[in-house]
Amino acid sequence: MQLKRVVITGLGAITPMGTGIDALQKGLAEHRSATVSMRGQWRHFLNLHSLVAAPGPDLDEKRVPRQSRRSMSRMSFYGHDAAQQALADAFGTGSAGPAHFSPGRLGCIIGSTTGSPIALNETFETMLPDRDIGKLSAVKFFQCVSHTVAMNVAQCLGITGNVLATNAACASGLQAVGAAYDMIRLGRQDAVLCGGAEELHPSVTASFDVLFAASARFNDAPSQTPRPFDRDRDGIVCGEGAGILLLEDYDHARARGAKIYAEVIGYHTCASGDHISQSSRLALIQCLRQALAGAGTAPDEIDYVNAHAAGTLQGDAEEAATLRELFGGRVPVSSLKGHIGHTLGASGPIELIATLLMMRDNVIYPTLNLSNPASDCEGLRHVTATISQRIDTILKNSFAFGGINAALVCRKINSP
Amino acid sequence: MDKQQATARIAMIFETEFEVAPERLVPEAHLFQDLGLDSIDLVEMIGALQKEFGIQLRDSDEARAIRTLGNLQDFVFNEIQKSEAADGIRS
Repeated sequence: MQLKRVVITGLGAITPMGTGIDALQKGLAEHRSATVSMRGQWRHFLNLHSLVAAPGPDLDEKRVPRQSRRSMSRMSFYGHDAAQQALADAFGTGSAGPAHFSPGRLGCIIGSTTGSPIALNETFETMLPDRDIGKLSAVKFFQCVSHTVAMNVAQCLGITGNVLATNAACASGLQAVGAAYDMIRLGRQDAVLCGGAEELHPSVTASFDVLFAASARFNDAPSQTPRPFDRDRDGIVCGEGAGILLLEDYDHARARGAKIYAEVIGYHTCASGDHISQSSRLALIQCLRQALAGAGTAPDEIDYVNAHAAGTLQGDAEEAATLRELFGGRVPVSSLKGHIGHTLGASGPIELIATLLMMRDNVIYPTLNLSNPASDCEGLRHVTATISQRIDTILKNSFAFGGINAALVCRKINSP
Repeated sequence: MDKQQATARIAMIFETEFEVAPERLVPEAHLFQDLGLDSIDLVEMIGALQKEFGIQLRDSDEARAIRTLGNLQDFVFNEIQKSEAADGIRS
């Protein structure tokens, strides 16, 4: 069976840097930190030690028609806006994206860690004091389900192809892109809107806080955390947003003269099978090797690695060991979480989008807050200042609780 | 509560919860075809009316025959009167 080639033809993002891919690129180019103090909002939560976060922008939710809006939470609004951006990027503003595809041939795969944490908390806060089900809103359920973003975006945009939600915590979004890649290259869809979306809530930060994995030592100096690969790193900073990409059959894209950011040439996802919260360098190495093998690419052909590196003690060290094993000190490596925090299930696609913009502009943005590489993160070519360098082939890495790993390889197409 | 008061409070629900312009709230307006509601909106409407008027509507067979805003106003006012009468008997 002849597999289809798959290209990326549209990008959309809502990030802690603002609305749109230009806001993301500008914030990274200016080396801005999006981390802010949450002490004012979160001080009522006892024993929550991490009082920092990277919030996203507030959107004008009333722009969405009421009957689509009622089932959406913040993360679905983010996903919807980013999906609209991606379609506008691919087809022009005001163009109805789904109309460019045969019925059922445009899919939608969007991942998140859970359904809306805000809606979940509101549901329990409404129901539990009196154990009264009658107080619940009929539409709240549609915000709580694990496929809330995928189904809301698909419904609102009139998408009738495959609609899936990948729920693998911090690897959710990159798994969504990988699943879209597999679906198109197998010929099951002509194109897929894919990515991830998340929303901020103290319960989300708390889930890392109780595992000693959330940053708590920089509450009075928010811009100095997270600190990927740094000796003073002390955990993640939760962020929110959405990153959505339009992946498209190369022949379909070429036939309509589409702008092509890059071709997806390799993807792999796997599990470690040995620990629920600790990442494993052996599993990470396996994942990256399989992604590179699928791409038919040797490690020395990779021009840039966009690391997962969230600023956790254990995760950063395991990833550094992985990258050292595969790439030594040759390939530039940076993590963008020092700028935008950890947008969890949205982080893979948001950071992939940023990487594609770096590839377009032949520039590599550094790891913000990496002042002194930790001894267990040494031996890599850490990027600590912006580099101008030709980038043809990139690797994006993500991993998550549950021992889940995901890696994607993309290559620039110079003449579509 | 008289019917005018009940009608005004129902209108407020349509305007705030379902974003229907007040000039469209005429008795002959069909809830689906003219006011743009759907089946989920009706579920939300029942919840909003129960909360607003302190009445129980969920198990009413008569509710299934409602088609227009006028039908709804008549039905709700009838249920309010039944509820007030029952309260009077209890007291």
